[in-house]
Amino acid sequence: MNTENCITLKDLAIGYSGNTIISDINFSLKKGEFVVLFGPNGCGKTTLFKTILHIIPPIHGTIVYGDDYTPRFGYVPQRQYLDEIYPFTAEEVVLMGTFGQRKPFCPTSKTDRLLVEQCLREVGMLELKKDFFSELSGGQKQRILIARALATRPNVLLLDEPITGLDVLAQKKTIELISELHKKRQLTIVMVTHEVHHIPSWVKKIIHIHHYKVVLGSLEEIISLSRIDEIPT
Amino acid sequence: MEQLFEILNPHFLLRNAFYAGLIVGFVCPQVGIFFVLRRMILLGIALPQVSNAGVAFAFLLHTLGWHFFYHMESEKVMALTGSVVFTLITIFVLAILERRRKGFTENRIGFTYAIAGAVSILFVSWNPYGKSEVLSMLTGEIISIPDIYLWSMLAIYGTIFIVLIGFHRNFVLVSYDIDMATTIGKKVVLWDIMLYLIIGIIISFGVMTVGPLVIFGFLLIPAITARMITRGILPFCIVSSVIGTAASFIGFYISYRFDLPTGPTDIAILCIILVLLYIGKILVRLKR
Repeated sequence: MNTENCITLKDLAIGYSGNTIISDINFSLKKGEFVVLFGPNGCGKTTLFKTILHIIPPIHGTIVYGDDYTPRFGYVPQRQYLDEIYPFTAEEVVLMGTFGQRKPFCPTSKTDRLLVEQCLREVGMLELKKDFFSELSGGQKQRILIARALATRPNVLLLDEPITGLDVLAQKKTIELISELHKKRQLTIVMVTHEVHHIPSWVKKIIHIHHYKVVLGSLEEIISLSRIDEIPT
Repeated sequence: MEQLFEILNPHFLLRNAFYAGLIVGFVCPQVGIFFVLRRMILLGIALPQVSNAGVAFAFLLHTLGWHFFYHMESEKVMALTGSVVFTLITIFVLAILERRRKGFTENRIGFTYAIAGAVSILFVSWNPYGKSEVLSMLTGEIISIPDIYLWSMLAIYGTIFIVLIGFHRNFVLVSYDIDMATTIGKKVVLWDIMLYLIIGIIISFGVMTVGPLVIFGFLLIPAITARMITRGILPFCIVSSVIGTAASFIGFYISYRFDLPTGPTDIAILCIILVLLYIGKILVRLKR
């Protein structure tokens, strides 16, 4: 793994409409690192995640990118937020990943089609490319959304609750897929989750949002911190 | 059959109304797909009504002797201005409130529809001169369309169609996944404004030409029908326009043949197409 920092958050305060949810956020992500952003529902995980992605502006502080490094983000949203009224096929959803590089009035190029096929193959969904996205199972949808993120040619992959709501087998398969992509593509990965048993045991760095404070630690440390909270006072 | 050849004759007396219907039938569904996909169908009912209120208001001002265009003889230019101004102001106010999540969307749109309907009637009742004009718009009597109107309509709707096709990816992406669009560098606010502008123009100009009922019908019914029978966004867009154009053609023929008002006939045809395709879909499912 590379030791160079790719994203550094300095004295960051995050929130909505000027209301701070979490302040004094200071941590760095190294190139090729696998990081889990963990915390209970409503603690501000998604706000932090969206601030890193520039979807929400920070209230205070800065986000610095490493020298000679412009991160290209691959974003995997929570699948339940995507409206099923859209009549997209799985292939069309993945094709959206190429929209950032396409000029208006140009038809989809052969290169893009090949890229989409490659991404679909990588997540094991090539056979279902003509199926309705809304008719796929939760696990299959997740794979398609990962393929869409890959089609943006990312060097940082951010996944928002990728295994929440999946059955145990689909959870296992999705985690295996993410781990495989991490190893194969040397991607920096940030995965958001609110359940401690969703964190793969081999993950070394966990960013835990605990009582509106950001704490960095290993899985053991995070588990012990969570257990302290469960002790009745 | 004789009437059909008559309609297709380039020297047909009502050709402008026929061509205007075809343009509306072809282009409106392309805007309508965003109403359906963004779940803004209620807005599709309210905005034509607002546009109608703008027209009624302009006629009232004209009668009262307030002219914005001194060198223009026709009050229709003023009516178009009223329609555009009312529609654009309303759509932008509703969009801002939607973004700030103030209150419930349905409440806001319901209120807009009620107030627009009420003021339209009040404006008309204060202005006996404009009454017949506004009433013919309400019933969708697409008969007397001057050449200048047809050409302007072709230019405006043609431009909108080209913009929608050219920037289709951006409009679809910002509608479907705003966060993803921001992440890959799309200017979401800009694309939203552009889409609202297109909606405002298409409705206000369409209401002036063919009336609120026809515009509402052609915005929504082809897209709802196409959504039911297509797989994939491209077939969805193409089939929407095909249904709109076909309904406009058949509707005009039937209204001419049986001396019926064109607008309501078009809408009835659209509804028949929807019901027939729905039954067809059920039968196909049962066969499987």
